[in-house]
Amino acid sequence: MSRLQADHLYKVFGRRPDEAVRRLADGADRDELRAEGTTAAVVDAGFTVDPGQIFVVMGLSGSGKSTLLRMLNGLLEPTAGRVLYDGNDLTALSPRELREVRSTKISMVFQHFALFPHRNVLENAAYGLEVQGVPRAERETRAAEALELCGLAGWEKSWPDELSGGMQQRVGLARALATDADLLLMDESFSALDPLIRRDMQDQLLVLQQRLKKTIVFITHDLNEAMRLGDRIAVMRDGRIVQLGTAEDILVRPADDYVASFIQDVDRSRVLTAAAVMTAPTGPVAPDAPAVGPDTLLADLCALAAEGPHPVVVQDSGGSALGVVRKEKLLAVLGGLASQEVTAHA
Amino acid sequence: MPRLPLGQWVDSSVDWLQAQFSWLFDAVSTGVTGLYDGIDAVLSAPQPLLFAGILAVVAWWLRGLAAGVLAFAGFVLVDSVQLWDEAMATLSLVLVSTLVTLVIAVPLGIWAARSKTVSAVLRPVLDFMQTMPAMVYLIPGIIFFGVGVVPGIIATIVFALPPGVRMTELGIRQVDGELVEAAEAFGTTPRNTLLRVQLPLALPTIMAGVNQVIMLGLSMVVIAGMVGGGGLGGAVYRAIGNVDIGLGFEAGVSIVVLAMYLDRMTGALGRQVSPLGRRAAAKARAALGAKRVGAKLWAHRPQPVTALVGVVVLALAAGGMGFLGGSGGATSTTASGTNGGHGKKVSIGYIPWDEGIASTYLWKELLERRGYEVETKQLEAGALYTGLAGGQLDFQTDAWLPVTHAQYWKKYQNKLEDLGSWYGPTSLELSVPSYVKGVDSLADLKGKAGQFKGRIVGIEPSAGMMGILKDKVLKEYGLEGEYKVVDGSTPGMLAELKRAYDRKEPVVVTLWSPHWAYSAHDLKKLKDPKGSWGEGDGVHTLARKGFAAENPEVGAWLKNFSLTEKQLTDLEAVIQETGKGKEQQAVRTWLDRNPGLAEKLTPQ
Repeated sequence: MSRLQADHLYKVFGRRPDEAVRRLADGADRDELRAEGTTAAVVDAGFTVDPGQIFVVMGLSGSGKSTLLRMLNGLLEPTAGRVLYDGNDLTALSPRELREVRSTKISMVFQHFALFPHRNVLENAAYGLEVQGVPRAERETRAAEALELCGLAGWEKSWPDELSGGMQQRVGLARALATDADLLLMDESFSALDPLIRRDMQDQLLVLQQRLKKTIVFITHDLNEAMRLGDRIAVMRDGRIVQLGTAEDILVRPADDYVASFIQDVDRSRVLTAAAVMTAPTGPVAPDAPAVGPDTLLADLCALAAEGPHPVVVQDSGGSALGVVRKEKLLAVLGGLASQEVTAHA
Repeated sequence: MPRLPLGQWVDSSVDWLQAQFSWLFDAVSTGVTGLYDGIDAVLSAPQPLLFAGILAVVAWWLRGLAAGVLAFAGFVLVDSVQLWDEAMATLSLVLVSTLVTLVIAVPLGIWAARSKTVSAVLRPVLDFMQTMPAMVYLIPGIIFFGVGVVPGIIATIVFALPPGVRMTELGIRQVDGELVEAAEAFGTTPRNTLLRVQLPLALPTIMAGVNQVIMLGLSMVVIAGMVGGGGLGGAVYRAIGNVDIGLGFEAGVSIVVLAMYLDRMTGALGRQVSPLGRRAAAKARAALGAKRVGAKLWAHRPQPVTALVGVVVLALAAGGMGFLGGSGGATSTTASGTNGGHGKKVSIGYIPWDEGIASTYLWKELLERRGYEVETKQLEAGALYTGLAGGQLDFQTDAWLPVTHAQYWKKYQNKLEDLGSWYGPTSLELSVPSYVKGVDSLADLKGKAGQFKGRIVGIEPSAGMMGILKDKVLKEYGLEGEYKVVDGSTPGMLAELKRAYDRKEPVVVTLWSPHWAYSAHDLKKLKDPKGSWGEGDGVHTLARKGFAAENPEVGAWLKNFSLTEKQLTDLEAVIQETGKGKEQQAVRTWLDRNPGLAEKLTPQ
């Protein structure tokens, strides 16, 4: 069973939202409603997230991604639709029950960290536990563990304003992890960091995820980030999810021109893998040809491909060949010129 | 354009409110008075120097050694100019109004921060409250609550409420939305979001509001002094009434000491109680780091525990001494109380006019010698009559009847009792310096407006003679339109007279006899051949209805009271010589010079 399921979610701000939902369901345009002073922030969003998955929602500002995220933990009440967590409908809960769910099962990491400036690092990390009513000694131990996990051991007594942006967000992450909630909502959590730190944090999140296997919904406007982190990605535009799939799906088979224009700037070499560009071997494999696994990134493939005259062999863990990657094909894909052709082969 | 009777409507609704809700106003009045008396009792119990010490330790703890030393010096100064009791009364007044204001303002501010509707409704109301001149609140204040500290406190509360509400609302709204969202995202209840996130973060702004509330309260004390609020405001008002620059300065400086202390302490307290403030202070200290030892010493602050112990020790010492002093005082009161009055309380109101001060303190001394406990209240004329009619005052000795105070007598006569005239006749007049030639009677003023810049320098518009002047005298002598009567105050008129006199400029002022101005300057009373000013007044003693029946002894004394011109001017002269604030001492000196008079005035 999926951990989280969004089922035909709508969020409409303004007058007579229910009528607006009906018209949207009948295919009305968002701009029509806006002319009447009603803003449809999220339109008919549906997806599922499996346990242990990182699900990325990607979209530009105003696409409704943050609104969508806030409906998942009930900070915003959906105008229509349901949010199922382990099969329980969160939209049917009373405010008190909803708070209970938020304090124990879902935690959140914010874009601008949202650390409480009047609490030190340890107290910030322990905040969720404090809300749960965990006794001081226990919550401080658990908060310290979470901080250590995020690489902040020794900073417990510091104050948020003494830390760099990256470190502050680690505190934010530790605060979210300390409650042992299984679902993590991350709202553009790395967007406010400078590029090097952002990359660092992405790596750290992936490493942590290896160990903790949380279920994560990650919001971003950065497609590279989405591709790096996401097991599955939803691309949003004007409140609707326009494409839902893996990084490769989106890169290789963009659903429409909008997505296609979006992916132009993506560094394919760091997203696409050998499996996506390999072709069936045309003849016997050269014995001295280099061999790689199907998950190898194209960026790592390029050097190998350049070394010898033969195509690189893609083989599975057992050592049997799955296909080969030809140089011309590799170059074409990296150049983004032959996506149709790539599709045909993949 | 038809005249909209807005004032009348307000007037009648105030009457209606008074009739319908007198129980409520009485309850409020009792509550506020109780709170004020309680705080005042605590503040004035300790020896001044000990209490100054307590305040200094608090300053030391909150701001450092230098602040402590300065605070101590400031309060010692207040004590040394003998305004300590007044300062404590003012402090109590400010504390009570601040307390009540905050109890109302902070919840309102929180409510406004959480609801746009409430905020939208409150905003114009607060604007109205804040921009309406504070004096205006005093009028219904006196009618609802009677003279004394209550209308002053109520007016202060109304005046000081808006910044309290605004700053609370602003503080809460200023808290970063993401922080509130973070609190909610972790399942915090709305109440805990308020208590754990919003209020702590809004605290610096709220404390700035508290500071403003206190400062506005302090700025109102002078106005409160006009309606019998007493304290330093009363001293300032007395100083204004007597053109007493010295007392005015002393009282003013005392207010400044209080204001600086309260301002700096609430500022520092704001930093102490708010976690953010403590954080900023710690940072500043760390940045200061390796400064000179001297600076460190002056900035040294004791640990809260040390400060607390210091305050408690001083307070215990103060309490012990206050207790001993109190019991000593009680013994002496009973000793003098064997004399008939049995400590019965009598309260006398007076307008700060020379004959009023003289006769009031004379009666204070006489009644105290007979074992009464006498309280005197200096008031503005309107407030004096309202208070007397309302029964908060027992009697006053300075009613100019039948002419000058006719309007008050007409309004309140069935609530008052005339105990007869003790001095008279008096006269009202316009006067010019004797160097102004060719103007000897009111009729001579006609056509000379240019010479006097078309102005007649008047006194308080509430004074009876101003009404007579404008409605009758000017009309009968055909001076209407030619001269403009300048409303002002008695001290203002006297100051203008002195200024013009020193520069030998022509000036016309409203004056009355007896008045010391005639001995200070060489003046001409303008003749009144048409008798427009009316017959001379007698200076009457007025009591509240029923006072004489309840206190037949005092009633009889007052009915038989009379002074000759010589006696009155002598007494006024002694009071002038002895100096302000020592009126009763002057009365004793005067009584010693007139042996047997006390027995004659208050026979047993």
